[in-house]
Amino acid sequence: MPPRLPHRDPGVPDTRSPFRYLWWLVTAQKARVLRGSVVGTLWMVGLSVRPLLIARAIDDGLRTGDTEALLFWVGCIVLAGMVLAWLGITRHRTMTFIREDATARSAQVLLQHITRVGSVLPKKITSGEVATVGGTDVTQISWALTMTGPGVGAVLASAVAAVVLWSVNPMLALFVLLGVPVVAGCVWPLLSRLQGVDSSYRHELGILTARAGDIVSGLRVLAGVGGRDLFLRRYAARSQTLLDKGYRVGSIMSWVQALTVGIPGLFLALVVWLAARMAANGDISVGELVAVYGYVAILIVPVWFLLEGGYMAVRGLVGARRMINVLRIEPDEVGATGREPGPEVNSALHDPESGLIVPPARMIGVACDDPAEAMAIADRLGRFSAEPAEQTATWGGLPITSVDLAEVRERILVADHESYLFAGTLREVLTGSADPAGPEDGGTPEKQIRVPGRIMGQDSTRNPDPAPKTAPKTAREPAPEAIAKAVYTASADDVVESLQAGLEEPIDSRGRNLSGGQRQRVRLARALLAEPELLILIDPTSAVDSHTEARIAARLRDHRAGRTTVVFATSPLLLAGTDEVTYISQKKVMATGRHEELLEEAPGYRALVARDTEDETTGAAR
Amino acid sequence: MKKGLPVADRKTVWRETAELTKRERKVVVAAVALHIVAALAGLGGPYLLGRIVNVVTAGGGTSDVDKLALAVGACVLVQVLVSRQAQYLGHRFGERANARLREDFVARTLALPVSAVERAGTGDLATRSSVDVAAVGNTVRTVVPTLLISAIQLLLIFGAVIVLNPLLGLVALAGVPTTAAVARWYLRRASPAYLREGETASELTEALTTTAEGGRTVEALRLAEERVAHGTGKIGQQWQARRRTLALRSVFFPIVEAGYALPAAAMLLAGGFFLRHGVSLGVVVSATLYVQQAIDPLDKVMIWLEQAQRGLASFARVLGVGMVPPEPRGEVPAVNQRELVVRGARFAYGDGHDVLHGIDLAVRPGERLAIVGPSGAGKSTLARLLAGIDAPREGVVTLGGLAVTAIDPAERRRRIALVTQEHHVFMGSLRDNLAFAAPGATDDDMLEALVAVGADWYADLPDGLDTELGDGVRTLGPADAQQLALARLVLADPHTLILDEATAALDPTTARRTERALAAVLEGRTVIAIAHRLNTAHDADRVAVLEGGRVSELGSHDDLVRAGGAYASLWRSWHG
Repeated sequence: MPPRLPHRDPGVPDTRSPFRYLWWLVTAQKARVLRGSVVGTLWMVGLSVRPLLIARAIDDGLRTGDTEALLFWVGCIVLAGMVLAWLGITRHRTMTFIREDATARSAQVLLQHITRVGSVLPKKITSGEVATVGGTDVTQISWALTMTGPGVGAVLASAVAAVVLWSVNPMLALFVLLGVPVVAGCVWPLLSRLQGVDSSYRHELGILTARAGDIVSGLRVLAGVGGRDLFLRRYAARSQTLLDKGYRVGSIMSWVQALTVGIPGLFLALVVWLAARMAANGDISVGELVAVYGYVAILIVPVWFLLEGGYMAVRGLVGARRMINVLRIEPDEVGATGREPGPEVNSALHDPESGLIVPPARMIGVACDDPAEAMAIADRLGRFSAEPAEQTATWGGLPITSVDLAEVRERILVADHESYLFAGTLREVLTGSADPAGPEDGGTPEKQIRVPGRIMGQDSTRNPDPAPKTAPKTAREPAPEAIAKAVYTASADDVVESLQAGLEEPIDSRGRNLSGGQRQRVRLARALLAEPELLILIDPTSAVDSHTEARIAARLRDHRAGRTTVVFATSPLLLAGTDEVTYISQKKVMATGRHEELLEEAPGYRALVARDTEDETTGAAR
Repeated sequence: MKKGLPVADRKTVWRETAELTKRERKVVVAAVALHIVAALAGLGGPYLLGRIVNVVTAGGGTSDVDKLALAVGACVLVQVLVSRQAQYLGHRFGERANARLREDFVARTLALPVSAVERAGTGDLATRSSVDVAAVGNTVRTVVPTLLISAIQLLLIFGAVIVLNPLLGLVALAGVPTTAAVARWYLRRASPAYLREGETASELTEALTTTAEGGRTVEALRLAEERVAHGTGKIGQQWQARRRTLALRSVFFPIVEAGYALPAAAMLLAGGFFLRHGVSLGVVVSATLYVQQAIDPLDKVMIWLEQAQRGLASFARVLGVGMVPPEPRGEVPAVNQRELVVRGARFAYGDGHDVLHGIDLAVRPGERLAIVGPSGAGKSTLARLLAGIDAPREGVVTLGGLAVTAIDPAERRRRIALVTQEHHVFMGSLRDNLAFAAPGATDDDMLEALVAVGADWYADLPDGLDTELGDGVRTLGPADAQQLALARLVLADPHTLILDEATAALDPTTARRTERALAAVLEGRTVIAIAHRLNTAHDADRVAVLEGGRVSELGSHDDLVRAGGAYASLWRSWHG
């Protein structure tokens, strides 16, 4: 009965309209939805059974003093209570399954979509919007499906009540059938008003909560500079604004709450009054009068359900609209939709705009006087920006846009220094693999395996067989030696050693629990570990001390031997370690040669990279 | 080892709760009284309807029916008006209590010593500020009023049955033992299960948002499959957590619901017995109908009890923040004392080994001192001691002869500022982000400060100083955020500045430019700069080399280069 989640294949959503999206979620689980409708109807109808049984127990048992009948009806009441409880929980479980099936389906579709869209996504939508769609909207979409079960039940139950009333007195039935929509019509705008003010209050509250969180994250900054009083005053002022807003909400809310009880109550009284007059005039019997009272009281339950369900449906449709807006964002093919195979291994890259040529199988340095321009060139070489045809980079003579994008991404890696570090253990951060389960099923963090995993050859003594016994789960699980080598080249050994659990230490997203220099080296090690044919590094050592920088410079070339590496940097240590350096100024290549040659021949280059401290040279750098 | 923030004990929680109610005793009493009147009016309706049935049965005329019906209408009207007023009073009280609670919480948070925050980790505090404050707010705003109204209704209903017949009143309690037992069972397990449910939901959101934020990295490193696997795993965990709560409800709800039939059944059985002993049929019928009416409020109590429990647990954590002793108010040193001296300072984090092994260092007023050395040498730790954030385990750090940790915290921050590479852009306008460092600063001062640190991105902002910054609005890059931090420092204008890799996130060219501009503005201030870029050291008056927790060399750049020691080797390698 319970669905198996997550879905193996969530399917292809219908994004033509919000309603179609909801319908897609329904048709994906037809049998369960049908069961929900049946159980929902039975439960709703079952609500009317107990008053009926109590009436019988009073009439047949108590009034006549018939102990046997009393016992029989009391037994029925207890039994009916149990059946109703069973129906109630079955309904709840079925509806939960329906909602969870839909929640998982929406979340999976969203997840797959945002990973497919990739680098364009941050340009089209903020992460806050993704959070809203993935959290609130997915939930509201799922709640809209509640209409399928008890919603159907409510309609049927109302119909049953109407038929029974008709059999008592058609006039009365007509009054009730017309009156119920009128009552609903009175209550609906009140409810919508309530939803409106309440959601604006919640929005404001959310901002205030975010501010408190903001202060918490900035506490250490405040400790360094001061200014706490100002934050407290500002928070208090906002809090008082919310208080005023809360008063207004309270004024409306209290009316709505009182009226939503009062209006149906008044209607019930009206019906009973009419029925009582009829009974007094002998048009209907006293028994029928009691029955009318019972049925109208019961009718209120499905009507309420329909009202609330209507709300859920409206909000679900709004959520579905936002959902399909995200699902309609298409990945950018960056310039063209080439499907050609790429050039052979070790082909040169050429950026016609700047004139930069990347010779194959070598390590070249690029010193660019403008950091933004360096990023732009790297983006063109790695096909992260769409350019007019004449400015498009070529790869082995082919326009890079004619090559299948997947192949470009596979063979060329642009490692920018703000590249994202996802949360996970250091090993996962480095290898890019993610443990889908995280900590074991609902387990506490203490359960996480804490292997004191130091990097270097811990397996070499214990495991004489160089090939690991168990094959790697995915192609992306590099051998421990490869990890150790990348960590060594990036001079990140001390990062691993400083962490209590070494490679198994959890790292926060964005590497927040690492220092700037540590983050940079982890990013470098990760890029090296990806082993791309062509690696484009941007300022890979700007945040580390010169001893470390010198070590990295010395190790990088060996590590990348036989493959192509481009290092955008202005550090003489790094540039000296390359085969060849290209100096770019004013967006154009000015000179190419070995670092030492350029220092002699190109004064602009010298001013840019040499760490001379005479004022005139530094002045000339700008 | 991280040591969490304290949690208030049960007694404190009750005391604070009582405190909240006592402060507005009149309002609380009035609201309760009005709720009682409303509930009585609510009970009046069904009673009068019963009378109508009796009148009709007895063959009464339509005029009697009309009168009674009018009374029913009056009851409904009274109920609407009175309950509205009661709810409004309660709502206002809840809002006020809420505002007071959240403002107190932020005040307590801001008063926390940084060392306490760091020991506990900001994660704990962040959870308290969001999840717990919200849970308490929801409890005060929604849960307590609902429980209060339901409790009043239940009391009145059972009171009515007891008035009808005390023995029947006992019978009305027939369902209580099973309900109480299963509620106890459920409440013991529910809170952790629902907390876990909330956790998995935020983990899934986190997986989605980080994947979206790192979109470019996902594409560049071809991590799509891994991110999908990771997120799908979170979806699975969310389902597991929700199955757990569903399993709990699957036991709790049916037992409670099946129990709702028991009072009516017991009442009818007992009625059959009592009828033969002089109790009238009308009493039995009324009592039976009353216990039927108890189902709705009872249901509400059962549903909301778990949230009330969670609200109390959250309240205990919110109050716990206030139990950390605040930073002591210290002494105020004379303004002209600027001599910062470290003598024999040793320091260890937690119970680990010493990071600093007896540092002696006298910083001259107005000098520029650079601290260099390999990573892990203890440079940042020394910076924290100098700023008075931590106290040395042994030895002392003094400002004008007074231990820095003994100086009044607010005064200390006014004189000695520490900027690290950890930067934070606060939610709010650019002006807000600058003003807190120097409340009296004018717009011109702010612009000057921005220019001084080379923050030329200012020109691109759509609304100048009024541009909203912070999460989700306009995110500044790390380099821009670092310049913002430096601009704050310029505005704050302390006599001593400690810059711990404060320009590390800038690219080398910009960093050099920013540092030079900054140096011009900070003329005459004492500047202690920790930097891996040695041009900072070159420009400084003196350089201290820190190695393995000791000052190994101290002197001017030229002297140290000439000495041919550790600094000279670092300088040579820096040049490549």
